[in-house]
Amino acid sequence: MNMERRTIYVLVFVSLLFFILVGYLTCFELFQKDRIVSNPYNRRQYEIEEKTLRGSIYDSRGKVLANSVVTDGVQKREYPYGPMYSHVIGYSSRKYGKSLIEAKFNNYLLGMDDSSAVLSIKDKLTGNAREGNDIYLTIDHELQEKAYNLLGDRKGAIVAMNPKTGEILAMVSKPDFNPDDSELEKNWSNMIDDEDAPFLTRATQGLYTPGSTYKVVIGAAAVENNLSDKIYEDKGTATIDGKKISNSGGKAYGKIDIKTAMAVSSNVVFATIGCELGEDNLKEIAQRVGLGASIPFDIPVSQSAFKYNRMSNADMAAVGIGQGKILVTPLHMALITSAIANDGVMMKPILVSRVERRSGIVLKRQKPSELYRIMSPETASHVKDMMVEVVESGTGKKAAVKGIKVAGKTGTAENELTARQKNKEHAWFIGFAPADDPQIAVAVILEYSGSTGGSAAAPIARDLISAWVK
Amino acid sequence: MKGFTKYFKPIYPVILINIIGYFLLYLYRQPYEQATVFSGLAVIALICITYALIIKLMLGDEYLFLIVSMLVSLGIIMLYRINKELAVKQILWLALGIALFFLCYFIYTRFAKWDKLIFFYLGGALGLFVFTMAFAKNIKGAKNWIFIGDFSIQASEIIKVLYILLLASYYTNPEKLQINGLKLMGREICINHKLVFIVISYCHIGFLILQKELGTAFLLFAVFFLFLFVSGSNVWVMAINACIASIGGVLSYLLMNHIRVRVDIWMNPWADISNRGYQVAQSLFAIGAGGFFGTGLGLGRPDLIPEVHSDFIFSAICEEMGVFGGIAVIFLFFIFVYRGVKISLMAKEPFDKNAALGITLMFGLQTFIILGGVTKLIPLTGITLPFISYGGSSLTTGFISLGFLQAISNKY
Repeated sequence: MNMERRTIYVLVFVSLLFFILVGYLTCFELFQKDRIVSNPYNRRQYEIEEKTLRGSIYDSRGKVLANSVVTDGVQKREYPYGPMYSHVIGYSSRKYGKSLIEAKFNNYLLGMDDSSAVLSIKDKLTGNAREGNDIYLTIDHELQEKAYNLLGDRKGAIVAMNPKTGEILAMVSKPDFNPDDSELEKNWSNMIDDEDAPFLTRATQGLYTPGSTYKVVIGAAAVENNLSDKIYEDKGTATIDGKKISNSGGKAYGKIDIKTAMAVSSNVVFATIGCELGEDNLKEIAQRVGLGASIPFDIPVSQSAFKYNRMSNADMAAVGIGQGKILVTPLHMALITSAIANDGVMMKPILVSRVERRSGIVLKRQKPSELYRIMSPETASHVKDMMVEVVESGTGKKAAVKGIKVAGKTGTAENELTARQKNKEHAWFIGFAPADDPQIAVAVILEYSGSTGGSAAAPIARDLISAWVK
Repeated sequence: MKGFTKYFKPIYPVILINIIGYFLLYLYRQPYEQATVFSGLAVIALICITYALIIKLMLGDEYLFLIVSMLVSLGIIMLYRINKELAVKQILWLALGIALFFLCYFIYTRFAKWDKLIFFYLGGALGLFVFTMAFAKNIKGAKNWIFIGDFSIQASEIIKVLYILLLASYYTNPEKLQINGLKLMGREICINHKLVFIVISYCHIGFLILQKELGTAFLLFAVFFLFLFVSGSNVWVMAINACIASIGGVLSYLLMNHIRVRVDIWMNPWADISNRGYQVAQSLFAIGAGGFFGTGLGLGRPDLIPEVHSDFIFSAICEEMGVFGGIAVIFLFFIFVYRGVKISLMAKEPFDKNAALGITLMFGLQTFIILGGVTKLIPLTGITLPFISYGGSSLTTGFISLGFLQAISNKY
């Protein structure tokens, strides 16, 4: 190797250093900077906040859900509906920082995104006050209000969405809080220590055992494995691998197929099906519906979990009835329900439909996109029939709406408290309507309510469906 | 395409950048000042005259100066935005630098015995070290400044140039450093020139570390090591040097507080953000605030970064001209290094070859060290960004080296 060649190697080396720098800077801008610039030691942040009129947040019909007003030169964030959107929009406080949409879309709300930077050069040069961008949510305020009132003072969550587009129509989590800055100031320390966790956005970050609502997933796996025509003998109880499985109230249903078993929510049959499907099938379907994967969304979402390495028969039986080491978020159950409604295609959930400049220029628009295909259209239609049966003749009768074909599934989930205390089950209901042309999918959970999904959660879903489907 | 190139000269974008820059500065600085316009015209005039002279007198590679003039322009525009007084001083330094550039060009061309002066370079560097150790004042934690009246000169900038000349002369006539017939305790010993050269190089680096000039020390080592490679040293020699450097690095981390602080800040500037990590954190805030397109000239807050006019000017460029602006600066240095290496490859005489490569590597590596530092890619070691940072010593010695490189480019 002569000197010339080695000199060229040195040139390549130095060039490489430069390209590493370029790559690093690009990565920094793309992935790291949002976390870094929000540091409280960055004075730019609050200087910009002070001279920018923070953007407003609207529902899908243009109703104001959050806006900023200036009185005597002091800017204040106002939430006209108080706590109703505390677990959707979050809060924006100088002292306590920001959460949810206020945090995730902070740059847009302050007009600090790259496209705004270019578009607002004129304002900057002429010295006009800076204006942030407005955010339009997919939420329908009327439905949100309805859901909010239906949940009342109970703890839990409601997610309603359009199964064909993934747009979230209503999302309520309780307990909640008043996001107004002065209210936060008053209650902050109490709420931080509160055992009821009012700051927990249960709809997206609460993890619950799905209970019998998971039977729709097991039902899909059963259809795929040709178990849908099989007749099972239900004696009311069964012992699998030493673990006793019994139906709600110990009722025996005799010789039934899976459709009837779904309608009456037979634990005996589904535990048996769980064992028949076996470890590989159970894991595979869990993975396919997105358990253990992260769901992209406009606010933080906890990862649903399926925590098994090796499964015993008792584990398979437990998974068959939605118990065991499975945890889901209400949003995730709504997504699974939507996918069944939408021919097996799970759409990516959308909360922010678009970001607009005051002048009307759209800076960002979220279009519906597919997230997963979790089952074939044929399987989805099979499961849909079973879910229609649940509402027509089974445990979900209270979700029935006159003139509308509703599909649904109830769940009464045992949890860490039910072993020690009575009446601590989670009450679940998932469903969609109209079954033939779904316009809304709903997931309702009342945590530790002690009542059954059919009696407590189904009526909430019914009222939402009848309010939405006209 | 031919018609286009006929009317499009590479000097135009440099002029255009200056016109846009000073126009924006004129709008930005309230009340409107004529001084802004005059400063802009002064910079454009200096650049155009120099470029015209290089072309008319046929002084060799015309692109070297074009690249540098773009860098200098960006630097002065940014300085003008941060601190007008410094920018005006920098324009004066630029004028002096250009004068030195021509002077060094002609000296280098006329004078042929550069490779014979190895002991002069060595003596000069040692003299500067001793002088600064004895008399220098402490500026920004570095003990490396010489005061002459009101002026202060950063000795390490001169030492860098001297070391390059030393390096080039050694690799031209290595046997000059051979020590033969040294009588010690009645025995005659010979010391191989390679060893002598390595010891001399480490002495330079050691002195710089003692003076807390970590950036320059790191830079000299990098150039030294790359020269070991280019000169075709034995793999073992390189491995041993790498080991010595690593051990030295670890030892100084353990023994010297100011080095440990640098590394700790690099690992996690957020832990002590109000104090030691403040500077790097502010730099990252600035780079993040600019996004890809920047806030626009005069519309960011680069003044929040301490030392923004010298070591951290790149962060200010990223904030106001965007990361794309910063990447443009990196690419300018990239083509500068490419031209420099090309000049070295074209040169026939070994001293010219080595000097050209040494100067080029010095600029290239110095850029990487400071840019990596302010972006937290590598630990921050204070050193200027060539041709962009404020500083008379840095800018003028930069032009001196550029004059040498220009002269070499015209010889072949």
